[in-house]
Amino acid sequence: MQIEIKYGPSYALAIVNLEKDEEVISESGAMVSMDSHVKIETSAGKKDQGALGGLMSGLKRMVAGESFFQNRFRAEGKSGEVTFAPTFVGDMDKHELNDSTLLIQSKSFVCSGVGVDLNSKWGGGKTFFGGEGFILLKASGSGPIVFNAFGGIRKIEIDGSFTVDTGHIVAFEETLTFKVERFGGGWKSFIFGGEGLVCHFTGKGTLWIQTRNPQEFGQFLGSKLPMRNR
Amino acid sequence: MQFEIKHKPDYASLHIKLQTGEQIVTESGAMMGMSPELKMESNLKGGLLSAAKRALGGESMILNTYTATGDGQRLDLAPAAPGDMLHIELGDRDIMIQSGSFCASEPSVTMDTKWSGAKTFFGGEGLFMLKASGNGNLWITSYGAIHEVYVEGTYIIDTGHIVAFEDSLSFNVRKVGGLKSLFFSGEGLVCEFSGTGRLWFQTRDPANLAAFAHPYRKVKPKN
Repeated sequence: MQIEIKYGPSYALAIVNLEKDEEVISESGAMVSMDSHVKIETSAGKKDQGALGGLMSGLKRMVAGESFFQNRFRAEGKSGEVTFAPTFVGDMDKHELNDSTLLIQSKSFVCSGVGVDLNSKWGGGKTFFGGEGFILLKASGSGPIVFNAFGGIRKIEIDGSFTVDTGHIVAFEETLTFKVERFGGGWKSFIFGGEGLVCHFTGKGTLWIQTRNPQEFGQFLGSKLPMRNR
Repeated sequence: MQFEIKHKPDYASLHIKLQTGEQIVTESGAMMGMSPELKMESNLKGGLLSAAKRALGGESMILNTYTATGDGQRLDLAPAAPGDMLHIELGDRDIMIQSGSFCASEPSVTMDTKWSGAKTFFGGEGLFMLKASGNGNLWITSYGAIHEVYVEGTYIIDTGHIVAFEDSLSFNVRKVGGLKSLFFSGEGLVCEFSGTGRLWFQTRDPANLAAFAHPYRKVKPKN
């Protein structure tokens, strides 16, 4: 599998070239274009998991904010191309897992090779008003994985500690310990401070962040759009 | 006529310098800056009788024609969405353009909004495919970057990402995949292109941005 990322840092497109009969797994809705002989298989779980295992995987992924179903693209009979793009304007980066684990903000996952196992993981810290909290996808195994950002991607090597607004987290290595809590600690600063959930990282490892926060942008647009009926 | 595209691919804008009598046809709203001596005329493509059809989301466009009254007059154009711009020298092949992607052209390029395939690409979003024929300069824009594919055989693309394609390609719009994918893959409408020719797509889909923003709209209180 060859993955080329073009048109960054604003409108990144991932161009995946699959070898004959090779597969790539992606988030539903991310496909932009593909060669016609590439077959899509929509499934809830991995091939060897069986019906119940597949159902559980699908449900967990739904909780993680990903769709229930995953798409597997297979270049049938000969090599083929599939391209992927996310909703938000911004950059993309690829990472090679070598029997290692990466934790990815669920909305940032684009695609991965079949050697990468994907599981949802609750990041902790339910907000005062309910809502999503902070949801992660745990990607472990070996192979390529592509993630996207809203805005630019900044790679930060942590050795010690670092605090980040959760809406800006794209991905981080499992070697980092993390703790999610309300920024500022008290209710007053949570409600009026303008910040939401933060994640305290400690240890040694790589963290990728995005320079824009989707929830803040959504609120920014939403406040200027006409009201809806429901 | 001289032109330059600046700020590619993120915020592309078109800067044209015209000689006396030269004309440029643009989509309405594209004008960013201009020499005030330029003469501007607005036309409803399809004529006044088509105004009624427009209410049904039919194929109409308002086009502005700028004519230079002297040498060296300037016209700067910018599209609505952040993204890229492509210049095409129209010649032997007609180009089909997604209606939102047309920016400007010389009057020697004719626009057909009513050719048979115009309304078959998009699920009723008010978008349609224009057919550009003739010869001369044509500029098209996108939301996101423009990626060119040279099709030899068949190629599938999500319709929300289509910007333009050469008419040497035949097309078939359908749902992607088999029965299960029909409902669950989330991929929606795709277009299968076959033959030989160039096709251009944009790397972002504005409908996805609108779908993202919608839940953030405040809900009307019940009264």
